[in-house]
Amino acid sequence: MTLSFETLPTSASSWNRIDPRWKLAGIIFATGAVIFLQTFSAAALALAGAWLLVIAGRLPIKQFMKRMGALAVFLFLFTVWLPFMTKDDGPSWAWGWVHMSFRGLELAAVFWCKGLAIVSLVLVALATTPLHSLLQAAQALRIPRVLVHVLLLTQRYVFYLVHEFSRMRTALRVRGFRNRATMHSYRTIGHVAGTLLVRSSEQAVRVGHAMRCRGFDGKLHSVVEFRTTVKDVELFLLIVVSATAVLVWDMAQR
Amino acid sequence: MSLTVAAICVADLTYAYPGGITALDRLRFAVAKGESVGLVGPNGAGKTSLFLCLSGVLPVKAGAAQVAGLDPARPEDRRRLPATVGIVFQNSDDQLFNSTVFDDVAFGPLNLNLPADEVRLRVAEALDCVGMSGLEQRLPFHLSGGEKRRVALAGVLAMRPKILLLDEPSMHLDPRGRREFIRLVNGLEVTKVIASHDLELILETCKRAIVLDHGTIVADGPARSLFADQMLMETHGLEVPHSLSHHRDDQRHHI
Repeated sequence: MTLSFETLPTSASSWNRIDPRWKLAGIIFATGAVIFLQTFSAAALALAGAWLLVIAGRLPIKQFMKRMGALAVFLFLFTVWLPFMTKDDGPSWAWGWVHMSFRGLELAAVFWCKGLAIVSLVLVALATTPLHSLLQAAQALRIPRVLVHVLLLTQRYVFYLVHEFSRMRTALRVRGFRNRATMHSYRTIGHVAGTLLVRSSEQAVRVGHAMRCRGFDGKLHSVVEFRTTVKDVELFLLIVVSATAVLVWDMAQR
Repeated sequence: MSLTVAAICVADLTYAYPGGITALDRLRFAVAKGESVGLVGPNGAGKTSLFLCLSGVLPVKAGAAQVAGLDPARPEDRRRLPATVGIVFQNSDDQLFNSTVFDDVAFGPLNLNLPADEVRLRVAEALDCVGMSGLEQRLPFHLSGGEKRRVALAGVLAMRPKILLLDEPSMHLDPRGRREFIRLVNGLEVTKVIASHDLELILETCKRAIVLDHGTIVADGPARSLFADQMLMETHGLEVPHSLSHHRDDQRHHI
């Protein structure tokens, strides 16, 4: 199994110069609007809008598409069942005992488009702003401190967990372990997962000590000072107006 | 040693883990300003716990320790400790958690609420001091063990501490990295306490050593004479360093 947790390379667009607070506020608003969409046309429009932002932010298309591909497959596993499980009186297609609802198909497409749109928006924020600035912006927007800290450490722990998992996997393989559909395999995987959690918890305590030793009092600081320009506000308003328009259109179509 | 000349003064320092197991038992010692002291002992002797007590992370009784004139037991003193005491952890991965080397080294100075220009200057100086200039935008998680160790040290040096506590500093270092690290540590004109199993490193960086076992100090004196005492070393799970055992063999040969 190959695990890739490389961060998306930072793009070199004018988006990088946008005040992270306005950018983050706009992205959060747009994400919130996407969550409430219920019709396929509005969800597809939201996805198109998110991809427009991807193009404007000059994200590396190849890497972006790779991530979208992986996400599309992941979402497909959840949505593929919807057309066959939705029961309604609307048009449907039947073949023997197999019954496929067109409404279910639409729901699957809506879910799929919304998922892709939300992750695209998040990637725009991540690829055009250093993570530290983004977290500082989150702090400035009064996002709960605990959430900001969790986000800060998540990136760190993804690498740590992958590294630890890789070491444990090697240790298992050199002792002859092969992953098979047997109780022994499942039990071993359970033990590995448990050990990973225990090690992560111990590591978290040590990281906490190290942070306190360097004067951490719960507040994130940065050498970058945020400055708002007219362009920042214009971009924020553009995102808010566009997201609101899509949401209103969605509500009108229901 | 009087408090006026002691950088660290420990008097009856005791610490027990939440389960009740005693980690440190009535420790008494002092470290003079500018002195380098080696702290040796087997695993579980209490070396890391002692560092965490001195840096105010683990709770201690009032008056049990004075570090640069600050009492880690007093909350207002504890808040001032990070600016005075720098601790480099045994595992650099515990210390590095930001997304770039620059952010990680700047983390401490920013917590001291220094102006941005001063932070940039300190980061540049600290990275230069450990030979890591030019790697500011690298991901810390992708560095080698030796590079991580240097970045961790830079993160502490950027805070310009008066006292440096180094926990197993030669861990993860290859021979060249270890040699450079010794040169670097010897060049730092601050009070240093170095906890290590690497007794050769202690011999090269400290004149004095403290042997800790089961949370108590079992010996305190010149590093060379303590480490040459085979009985003392073996009783407390240590070994006479290679350089001193050779020296002793040579002496026997001459006799």
